[in-house]
Formats: sequence, C-alpha cells, structure tokens
Amino acid sequence: MKKILLIEDEVSIREELAVLLKNAGYEPVPVTDWEDVLGQMRSSCADLILLDINLPGLNGEALLQEFRRENSTPVIMLTSRTSEIDEVLSMSYGADDFVTKPYNPTILLLRISAVLKRSAGKTSSTQTYHDAQVSTVKGSISRNGCEQILTKNEMIIFQLLLDRQGEIVTRDDLMTALWDNDEFVNDNALSVNISRLRSKLADLGLEDAIETRKKQGYVLK
Amino acid sequence: MRLIDYLRDRIPPIIIGIVSYALVFIFMTAYRFSGESIAVISLILLLGVFSAGLWDFLRKRSYYNKLMLYSEELDKKYLLAETLDQPDFLDGKLFYEALRLGNSSMCEHVSEYCRENKSFREYIEMWVHEIKLPVASLQLMCHNNGDHKYSEQLSRIDSYIESVLYYARSGSAEKDYIIKPVSLKRAFTDVAVRNREQLQELDISLSTDGLDTEVMTDGKWLGFILGQLMANSMKYGASEITVTAEVFPDRTELRFRDNGVGIPECDLPYIFEKSFTGINGRSRSKSTGMGLYIVHKLCRKLGHMISASSQQGEFTEMLITFGRNDLHDVR
Repeated sequence: MKKILLIEDEVSIREELAVLLKNAGYEPVPVTDWEDVLGQMRSSCADLILLDINLPGLNGEALLQEFRRENSTPVIMLTSRTSEIDEVLSMSYGADDFVTKPYNPTILLLRISAVLKRSAGKTSSTQTYHDAQVSTVKGSISRNGCEQILTKNEMIIFQLLLDRQGEIVTRDDLMTALWDNDEFVNDNALSVNISRLRSKLADLGLEDAIETRKKQGYVLK
Repeated sequence: MRLIDYLRDRIPPIIIGIVSYALVFIFMTAYRFSGESIAVISLILLLGVFSAGLWDFLRKRSYYNKLMLYSEELDKKYLLAETLDQPDFLDGKLFYEALRLGNSSMCEHVSEYCRENKSFREYIEMWVHEIKLPVASLQLMCHNNGDHKYSEQLSRIDSYIESVLYYARSGSAEKDYIIKPVSLKRAFTDVAVRNREQLQELDISLSTDGLDTEVMTDGKWLGFILGQLMANSMKYGASEITVTAEVFPDRTELRFRDNGVGIPECDLPYIFEKSFTGINGRSRSKSTGMGLYIVHKLCRKLGHMISASSQQGEFTEMLITFGRNDLHDVR
C-alpha cells in the first residue's frame, strides 16, 4: 500500500483527506505535530507527500525548497491561494503538481496516481491485468497473442478501473477522468463506451471482467 | 500670455494713469509750463511707465507660458506644482504656495483612500482564502459520504466566492497576475471539469477545436473568465458550447460560442457595463450585471480584447483576442 504523508493544518480537511485517501486504497499518514515538519518529512519514508502551502508558522514553499535539497520524494502542493504566482513558485521549488482548494476529490486522486506512476517510471511501460498486457502507449490490450485496440475513451476508463482494481469506481469518477482528458462525454456515451470495452474484453476471453454494482459504480475483477 | 490680454487685464491702472497724466497736464498748463518742459516731463513719465509695464509683462509671460506648456503636456497634471520653480513675483508666489498646499492635501486624501482600499482588498483576499477551507472540507465530506447533491451547491458557492475575489482584483491598481504561456486546452478543460455536474444536468454538450495552443496570460484569471462565460451560457439556455481558437501571426483568437437565447441587439453595446442586466437578465434569471463587467476589466488589465456578437434566438459568441508580444517569448 502506498504511503502518503499528509501535511495540512486545517483539522477537518485533514481528516476528510485521510478518509478519501484510505477509501482510495492509500495509507495516509497525517502530520499533527508542527514542530520539525521537515524532519518528519525526511524520516517518513512516504511514497508521496501532500503539502499545504499555508502552515502554522511555516511557509510550505520554503519547506519544500529545503526538503528538495536532499530528497526526491514526489510532492503535491495543496493550496487555497488563488494566485498563479504561488503555483509557479511551487513548481520552481520542485513540486510535482499542485491542487487548489476546494479540491475536486476525484481530480486530486487522479493527480496523486499520475504523480505516483510518473515517479515509479511506469508511464511508458506496459501494465498487466491478470494474464493480459495493457499498453497505454499503443492503447491496446493483448492476451494469448490476440490484441484489441481501445479508443482513447475506453483506455481512460480501463486505466482508471485498473488503477483501482477490486474497488468500486463510480460513474462520477469515470466521468471526471474522461473530462479531465478533454473528452466531454455525456451519460449515454459513457454507457456505450463501457459496453464496448466489455465486449472487447470478452473478445479476449476476459468475460465479466467489469462488474456493475447497482447505484454505486463498476469494479474490475 | 498675449500682450493684448495683458493690457486688457490692466485697464483700470491704465485709465488711472491716463487720468493722472491728464490732471498733471492740466496742472502744468495752468502754471504756464513751457511747451518744452511739458514735452520732457511727458516723455520721462511715458518712458518710465512703459518700461515698468514691459518688464512686468515679460517676466510674467515667461513664467506663465512655462506653466501653460507644462499643464498641457504633463501626463499627471497634479504633479504641476512639483515641476515648476517658485515664481519671483508676489501674486505668483502666493498662488504657488496655495497650489502646493492644495496639492499635498489632495495627495494625502487620495493616499488615505488608497490605503483603505488596499486594506479592504487584503481583507477580501484573506476572507476568500478562509472561506475556502470550510468549502473544501464540505466538498470532501460530500465525496466521502457519497452525497453528491450537495456538491453542486458547493460549486455554486465557490464560484460566487471567486467572483468577489476577482472583482476586488480587477479594481486594484496592483499587478497581481503573472503572464506566462498558458495552454488554452488545459484552461478550458479545468473549467469544464469544475462545471461538469451542472453542464450534464442541463444536458449541454461541449466541443472544442484548435485549443492545442498556448497564449500569454495568467492561467488563474483566464480560468475565471472562461468560467464566467460558461456560467452565462448555462444561465441563458444553451444546449451546445463550442470553443475554438485560431492562431494568427500577431494574435490568437478564442471564440466562445453557444446556441442560447442570444443577446438583443439593443442590449449588445452595454453588456460589459457595470450592473447592466438587459432584457435577458431581467426576464430569465436574476442577473447582477457584474459577471461580464468583471470579465471585461480583467481582460483589459491583462491586455486582451473581448467583444461579443449575437443573433437573438441563434447564438452568442464571445471573442477574446490575445496579443502576441515577442518580448514575452523570451523563455
């Protein structure tokens, strides 16, 4: 389980973020002691750090700059600031991404998984699903020598389901992921894409790979 | 300063002079002065008065001509007193002092308002950041508990908060934006994702073309501008929104078009004015007349041009023109 260090001083946000991350299959480690945050960042061995830009008596940007001198753990900045300057500064201090408050939870999770994948160097490589090979570059799934080409939409959907294999992915999450990739589909189009994806998987012998959970979403088995 | 004006201004002393000379002349004739001595005395008097007048005219003319020139050419006319030297004649000195006093009092007055304005703006900025915390917590709570019906209302709250923030920013003289290359696609996608729930509820379809380009602007501000345009499309009955960008050698044009009710021709020239609601704003939904006003101000501050065209019942199209300044291209 990927460990995520959560540095956010607003208690209610911290708690809700922890729930969100736990539900998404991560292990959140919230920071509650504001003495020596830098030390905690260094000793946490986290896979990723969510860092609020505004901390009690601390400046998130300065903290990041200091942290970056020795560590390369990916950092996503959380900011309620609405100025572009903060984002530019954060990026120049070595943040991997930033998300602005109020967060769109699905977007936040997408960003986290993208940054984690990037840091693991998995972006261009192929993933496996049971005994099938998934190539994000080619946009295809192959199994036993057969290959199915997925459309961009189908790939986005499959990718999200694969990232959270075994968990429920809501239609809302799928929709947000599609829209985040400039695919402004509607409800019907999503259903059509899912049924096409299902039949392509079935052609590869992966029948009933995507299970529908009534009123909740889909699960990739 | 023209001589004729100067003389006209001196009519009373001139008349007094002429009358006194006439009295002196009568006096001299009455005492039987010789013609020669009358002529000499008259000449001395005339020369004296004339040269005194000429000297006064010349020194005033040189000073006031400078004053007129400066006041015409100065960009900031209130700096007039700072640029002029103190005159060497009494009435000028008095006026100069009064002008300086008035000026400095006005400066204090203005700077007091500036301070007040600035502190109000800082308070608004701070307040916006504070209010975003509970909104963010609520947003997360909704997601964690699966109460999606609340999150749409939360997005509405968030967009009203943004509008306050940008209104405060649009009016201030401070330069709190940062111009850098911004991907039009990224900016539009962010806005679309933010409004996805409402767009889908209203069954509005989005299509884009040519957005794979960058413009020089502030990403946050552009996001707000596009968000406002989208909010208007949603408010005024659109079922399709088409966003296209076209790159020209000297500019990039972004067209934001919807097929909503359109704007009546008589309203079109006024839509960017403050508090203008128009026929649509009054009849269809509660409009504050602030959205496009703020958008227009932000565009002007960023150096973009925005204009609107519309055909009632057919379409509304907003055109934003981003200049291409090669100076910005130095990366």
